[in-house]
Amino acid sequence: MITLAVFALFGVLAVVAALLVVVQKNAMHSVLYLAFTVLATAGVFFTLQAEYLGAIQILVYGGGIVVLYIFVIIIVNLKEIVPERRGLIPKLFLVGVPVLLCAEVVTLVLRTGFPAAPAGAGEAGLKETAEMLLSSYLLPFELASVLLLVVLVGAIVVARKEIHR
Amino acid sequence: MIPIEAVLGLGLIVFSIGLAGVIVRKNLVIMLMSLELLLNGVNIILAGLGRHLNSPRGSIFALFVIIIAVSEAAVGFALVLSYFRHKKSYDTDVLNDLKG
Repeated sequence: MITLAVFALFGVLAVVAALLVVVQKNAMHSVLYLAFTVLATAGVFFTLQAEYLGAIQILVYGGGIVVLYIFVIIIVNLKEIVPERRGLIPKLFLVGVPVLLCAEVVTLVLRTGFPAAPAGAGEAGLKETAEMLLSSYLLPFELASVLLLVVLVGAIVVARKEIHR
Repeated sequence: MIPIEAVLGLGLIVFSIGLAGVIVRKNLVIMLMSLELLLNGVNIILAGLGRHLNSPRGSIFALFVIIIAVSEAAVGFALVLSYFRHKKSYDTDVLNDLKG
């Protein structure tokens, strides 16, 4: 019961902060609300007993990506932002698309019902996660490290200044 | 015990908000932030299903999604910076060089 209450609290916080990310005019305010969303999502992960995922979320998103966003907004001149010129009617029309998608999937989930966990299923603790990650999913894990290396090189190549001799 | 429908609904709502941000906003940096929201919604659903089915696969897939999100953010920022250097703006309306 308490878990459900904490889950609801973090869930509501995440949804409200996510809405604020999208509607803010100032990009810097958006980043702060994004940090809020990320931390609330980490709380949701903790209530779902995915502790490792919650810790990674705080470290990588809260510590890495949010700071990266702040740096980029500082580097890119904020005065260059032009106000959005899109009218109200096209905006409402565009918002209708995700609302329709959301309604459709919610109806599907509620009408189908979800199967219970199969009998004899394993545990989902930290130990089992680590064992499965480093045995069955070893190849994707290694490929992910290669991907990160490629991204490191690629980002430097794309973002560096062209030097003409 | 948290009902799986609540977790799916939460993930779906965060996903929809992110989708709305990507298609409505015209500021490139805020569009990238909305992409992070999209991936966060998917992560919530993956973690919830892993908990529901008592399988560690939910956490593992969500971990890979986080890795992809980091890569996407890094390359996206490099593109934004390089584009800003050329155009002095990051409004998507200026991005019409390839318009036929």
